Parts: sequence; C-alpha cells; structure tokens
Amino acid sequence: MSEKEKIFEQLQQTVIVGDTEGAKKAAQDAIDAGIEPWKAITDGLAAGMKVVGEKYESKEYFLPEVMVASDAMYAGLNLLLPLLKAAEKADREKVVIGVVEGDIHDIGKNIVKTMLTAAGYDVVDVGRDVPTPQFIETATGEKAKVIAMSTMMTPTLMSMKDVEAELEKKGLKGEVKTIIGGGTVTDEWKAKIGSDAYGKDAVEAVDKVKILFEEIKLALDLAKKKREA
Amino acid sequence: MSVTDLATREELERPGQAKIIFFPYGKREWFAKGEVSVLEAAQAQGIDLSSLCNGKGTCGKCKVKIEKGLETLGPLTPQELRHITEEEMKANYRLACQIRPPASIVVYVPERSRVGKQRLQTEGLEVPVKTLNPFVKKFFIEMSKPTLHDHKSDEDRLLDTLLKGHCVPANLEFDFDLSLDLATTLRNANWRVTAVTWKDKLIDVEPGNTTDRCFGFAVDIGTTKLAGFLMDLNTGKVVSVAARMNPQIPLGEEVMSRITHQMMKGWAGVEELQKAVVSGINEMIEECCQKANVKTNEIYELCFVGNTAMQLCFLGIYGRHVAFSPYPPVLRRGVNVRASKLGLKSHPRANTYYVPVIGGFVGADSVADLMAVRMLESDEMIMDIDIGTNTEIAVGNKDSVLMDSCASGPAFEGMQIKHGMRAATGSIERISIDPETLEVNYRVIEDKPPVGLCGSALVDVPAELLKSGVIDLKGKFVAEMAEKTNRVRKGPEGWEFVVAWQKETATDTDIVITQGDVRELQKAKAAMRTGSEILMKRMGVTEDDITKLYMAGAFGNYIDPENARTIGMYPEVPLDKVVFVGNTAGTGSRMCLISKEEREYAENLSTKVKYLELAADPDFQTEYLDALYFPHKNLDKYPDTVELLRRLGRIK
Repeated sequence: MSEKEKIFEQLQQTVIVGDTEGAKKAAQDAIDAGIEPWKAITDGLAAGMKVVGEKYESKEYFLPEVMVASDAMYAGLNLLLPLLKAAEKADREKVVIGVVEGDIHDIGKNIVKTMLTAAGYDVVDVGRDVPTPQFIETATGEKAKVIAMSTMMTPTLMSMKDVEAELEKKGLKGEVKTIIGGGTVTDEWKAKIGSDAYGKDAVEAVDKVKILFEEIKLALDLAKKKREA
Repeated sequence: MSVTDLATREELERPGQAKIIFFPYGKREWFAKGEVSVLEAAQAQGIDLSSLCNGKGTCGKCKVKIEKGLETLGPLTPQELRHITEEEMKANYRLACQIRPPASIVVYVPERSRVGKQRLQTEGLEVPVKTLNPFVKKFFIEMSKPTLHDHKSDEDRLLDTLLKGHCVPANLEFDFDLSLDLATTLRNANWRVTAVTWKDKLIDVEPGNTTDRCFGFAVDIGTTKLAGFLMDLNTGKVVSVAARMNPQIPLGEEVMSRITHQMMKGWAGVEELQKAVVSGINEMIEECCQKANVKTNEIYELCFVGNTAMQLCFLGIYGRHVAFSPYPPVLRRGVNVRASKLGLKSHPRANTYYVPVIGGFVGADSVADLMAVRMLESDEMIMDIDIGTNTEIAVGNKDSVLMDSCASGPAFEGMQIKHGMRAATGSIERISIDPETLEVNYRVIEDKPPVGLCGSALVDVPAELLKSGVIDLKGKFVAEMAEKTNRVRKGPEGWEFVVAWQKETATDTDIVITQGDVRELQKAKAAMRTGSEILMKRMGVTEDDITKLYMAGAFGNYIDPENARTIGMYPEVPLDKVVFVGNTAGTGSRMCLISKEEREYAENLSTKVKYLELAADPDFQTEYLDALYFPHKNLDKYPDTVELLRRLGRIK
C-alpha cells in the first residue's frame, strides 16, 4: 500500500472506530502529503462515515458509536474544510437543518447532520425549538435549497405543517425543497402536508436529499433550456 | 419477638431431623436432616418462594437470607457462585434450592424472591393520614315543628338547629337546588333529617338519620390503567376496589398523542377524550357500589390524581400549549369542580377534587406518590422511581426535592419489540438464562403456552443475555455465541435469540428477541437512567448518598430489581435499600379524599418540589449516550454488577 493509500485508510478507520486524535493526525498527514483536501474528505473521512452509517442501519453500531465516529469526523473536517478552494466551497450544496418549534429532542437531528456533512453537504444547523419563520429566513439568507426538519413528538408535527404553509405563502414552495424525519414522522404525514421527502433514518435521509438536489438541478436545467429556446 | 428470641425458645433438636423456619411467614416444619432443600421445604408448606428452574440451580431466583444457622450449611456451590454477589454473600444470602440443612435454621424470604407481589395492581402502601377529616360531613338534627308562636322559615329553622347543635361554619350556604322541594322533604321526614355539608355548603337534606352512610371515591387516572377506590368517609377505610384499562387508549397510546388528538379534532376531540375516561371511571364506580351495596348517590366527593395530560383530558381543558416546550401546565393548584359537570355518577351535588400538579407532565400522581412515601419528612436522601408509560423520578429529602419525567417510550409496554405485548394471559412475564448451558426458563401469565414477552420479561431479557454473554456491554450480539447454542442465530432482521421454540409456543413461530429489540430496550432504560443521573447531579449527591429507593407503580412491582439494576435502569443502590410501594398514586388519592390536612399538604408539596425539564438540561445528551451501555459506560458506577459480570467472565 502506498503512503497516500495508507493515509486514506487511516482517515476512514479513525472515523469508523471513533478515534478523534487519530482522525486529526490523519487529516494533518493528508495535508502534509499534498492530498487534495476535498479528496481527503470524500474518499477518507466521508467514506469512513458511510461505513458507520451502514453499521448503524444493521444495528451493529448504536447511537454512542455513531456519536464518537461523528466527533472524529468533525475533528478531521475542522482541519480540512478551511483549506477547500473557494470554488470547491461554493460547490457544496447547502441544507438547513433543525428541530421544529416546540420540540427540544435533537440527538436524531445531530446524527442526520453528521451523515449529510459526511456526504459532502454544507449543513447549516439552526438548532432546536426553531421558530417556524427562522427555517425559511435562514434558507433564503444562506441560499440553501433544502430544508430538513425533525421532531420526536406528535403535537409538534403541526410545526412542520406550519413551515410548509409559510413556504407556500412566500411563493418558495417548489423552489426550496423540504425533507422531514423523526420518531413520530411517517410517509403519510409527508403526503398530508406536502413535504417533498421523508427519511426514515439518517442513512435514508442522505439518499433522499441527494434525489432532491438532482430534482432541483433538473428543474434549473429545464428552465435554462426554455429561456434559451 | 425477634428472630433470635424464637430460635432460642423453641425446640430445635430432634434426632435425624432439622427444623426450617421461614420468615416473614413464621411457618416452621421438621425435615429429614441434610436431605431436603430449603426450596423443597418451602414448596411443601405452600410458602411463596420464586423458582423458574424448579430447583436445578440455573435461574438464581430463590435467594434467601440465612438468619440463623449459616455456619452449618457448608460452602457455596458452583451454581450459587454464578448468581450470588459478593455483597449478598456478606449478607448471608444463599440459593434455597442448593442448601439442604443438616441442622435447624432460620430463613428469611426477601420480597424480591416472592411471587405474590406480582398480582398487585391497585394495592399500594397503606399510609395512615394524620387526621381523618373529610370535607363531607353529615349531621343528624331533630327540629321542632313550626307553630303560631314559632313560624320561622324552613330555611332558618334548619340552619339555626344545625348551628346550635353542631360545629358547622356560621356562614353555611344553602345550595339553591335544595330549596325546590325542601318543604316537602322536611315534613315527610317529620322534621328529623340529616344535613350533608361540604366545606361551607349545604349540599343535601336527607330524611331520617343517614350519618352512617357517607362515601367517597378516589381514583388514579393512569395513562394506561385506571384504579378506583370506594371509601367510607366515616372510617377512612377502603370498602371496595376496581380497575379498568383507560378507555382513551384508542384515541392515543400515550400522553402526547392524546394532546395531539385534542389539537387535531379541536373541541370535539377534547370532549371525546373527556367522555372516554369518564365512562371508564363510572364503570368502576358502579362496580364498587354494587360490590359494597352502596348507592352511587351516597358518593359525596371524588378525588383524582393523574399526570398533567390526564388532568387536562379528564377536566376537558384544551392542552395544546402544555405539549410544546417549555411545557407549562395550565392549572397547577388543586381543582374543585362539580362532579355532575364532568358526567360522573355520584350525588348530584358531589364535588370533584383534582390534586395539584408539579410541573411539565409531572402531575398529581407524582404529588400523591411523594405524599405516600413522605419524602418531605425524611432527614435522609431518598430516590423515588415511578415506572409507567412515563417514568417520574424524584430525589430529595425534607430540605429540597427535585423531580423529572422521562419518556421511556413504550418498549417496556411491549411496543416496538418484535414479540412484545402488554401483560396478559400468555405473556412470558419472567425469564432466566443459564450462564453455562444457555438454556432458558420462563414463566407465563396463567401458565399457558407463551404468546409473547411483556414488560417484566423485557427487563429480564437484556440482563440475562448480558450475564450469559450473548450480548456485550454495548448491547451488541456476540457472533461467537452462535457456536455455543443454536438459540443464537441470524434471523431475517439480523441477530436474534430464541426464547421459546415454536413447539412450545401458542403462535406459529419461535418467540425471539432481536438485536433491534435490544436496541429499543437500551434506549428505554437509558432515558430512565439519565433521569436519575441528572437529578443526582443537580442535587449534588451520588448513589452512595441514597438511603432508600422507592419503586412505585404497578410495573415496579412486577420487575426483578436485580436485573433492572444490572442493565443500569437505576443507579447501583444496595438491593436491600429498594422498597416496592405499589400504586402510591392511589394511596395519595385516597389520603386527599379523606383529609383536609392532606390536601393542604399536597398543595404545599406541589410548590416545594422543583421540576427539572430533562431534555433541556445541558448534560442530557452526554448522559443519555453513556446510559445506553449495559449497565453504564462508566463502570465505576456499578462495582457490584461489574464484580458479578467479571466472575461470569463477561468483563476482563
């Protein structure tokens, strides 16, 4: 195995076992070895996180393991992200994520945030008990095209409905996509309130967000073609 | 008479025989020296002593304390070494099935080795109130007839005679409804009537002397179960008892979904929920009255406890804002409202009292619980855990009490567990796994072929899987165990452990526990454990400071406290400090029904107890993640459990 291959292996492994110090070292080694930061992230840290996601899905890993893996990943990211070229930074698609108004349970949301970050998205975390208008204001301000909402309880499902209503009112429905998830959220609820996607867990959330961005790109390309026609 | 007194005064020597004396029952019998195990002796005498493996030494459930005669019993057997902790050895605990006394001994059967407490549903601590002083009072009076010289109004005649002859409030108020046929009532009764008062209101005038017929009804509105107690207000004693499943369940399995029902359906939903619970309560009233030969209109006051969501749904209060952070209750203080307004079957002018709540969803049932265990009177630090659909935990003493509520989730109700179910006929209620052979023993409710696993078995499951090495401290199935037993295998959803083979079950499948089930149970117990950890942190105490741990609630009565502790459901407090108190919410409700002073105590308690919003605590996330491990990420918190696991080879 070449030196560079070893470093990629380290980047992945330290995330998989949740070795924060090791991940920092691996990130630094990658920088010193001249590896492109975005490659170190994608093929190293993020690849490791993907494995963690699979182990979480198969229930081999549980919440604590995911959290320590997440800590390791962020430790590495903190060294690599600032080094991304401006163009690469702009390329990263933005997602606004938060726990809806009235609810303060955020462990699940934090896991989704980790997996989305690992998948290469620039995640803007608005926290928990987020007032409905704040989701949209932040999305507009950050030029984020996807809003991800989470709740663990039933009464606060209504807050998701409120966000959808706000989007409609502001004429942003369709332009900004929504994805919902959480302990009490279902596909039926998504259909009922008109959200664009539902993720049953963190791993599915990443797949669905990918699809949402593809839809957005498709719509933009179509609009472009129409203008040129 | 103490244990030692008994042993010295009675005959203890007989050739070829040993006497085995069982406490707390006081039963004693002679058996052939060295040939009969203590378990066999208990069974022969019909003494309540738990055993799942029927004496093979594999389940560890028949632990008894040797009060006298330990030295004659010889060293612990290998089976005992697998189940008895160091702490228990120091306290002279042995397995009843493993000891065959060669000489007379005295044995104590601790509460956790008894089966009997399993059936308790409504029973809780009987706590004597300081003063029997109901708000309802009856007075018999004989009035003189009106004459030309004495033509007072009927109203004045009644009130003057009452005030002169009895201790009643001077400002006693006449309920208007009484006036409608007052004149006829008085004359038909020949001016000899019983006045019924509640506080400073006159609520009825009954013909003749009915002072010996004065009843009240106390209720505990649980999210899942209702318990009702018909009480004689003259004696303060329970006359009959009833229980029902809460009819609101179809409208919402747990508290949040019931509030959501109110939100989704508006006032129609509020009314639906209110009527549903009242129908269950009225059924209990009728059942109790029928059993005790009491008329429903002889019930002059009703008292209720229940968590904050139950308070809202029962009183018909719109509760949307209680369901959103920061979860402020609408009403904290005790509520008085006409029973007829709520639709309750009782005297037409009976009062309903709802005991005060504390904060968030920590409601009147918690006030009642703390009243019953007298936490505010204790010099020593106490922990109280009320496990139910929600688990409420309190830590404190007379100086201060802090309390929180944990959404443990429905896992211990059997929900989200593959073969989980609510406790009913056919549920496996207890299980044990032999750490050596990995063979399973279980007990089913009503002894039928098993259908599934209920809450108490779901506490045993992770403990037994851990002790036998099937799962590790992180809760993960250990793949190598599949080579040791065919009970560990890969099923359609991943790793699973077969609890009961298809041929034993009443269903068409094996009854299994999956890796996913273990994860659900980890989450549920971690929520509870975080609840107690954060309370202790904020109170500045540790488990070593806790002098007593009260386990309240019907579910608490059914679980094995040792297994619950092994999996880390609560802090490692010595097991002899754990006290089962049953349905203390019911106890507190009864106390408030029969005593004005207890109501004042409840009001005071509800202001003194501080409520902690668990999910908002800055340490919640880190503590929760640590609490997911069995028994805990920080093994220093569980030295006794660690020692046992080390002896079993589960920890290096």
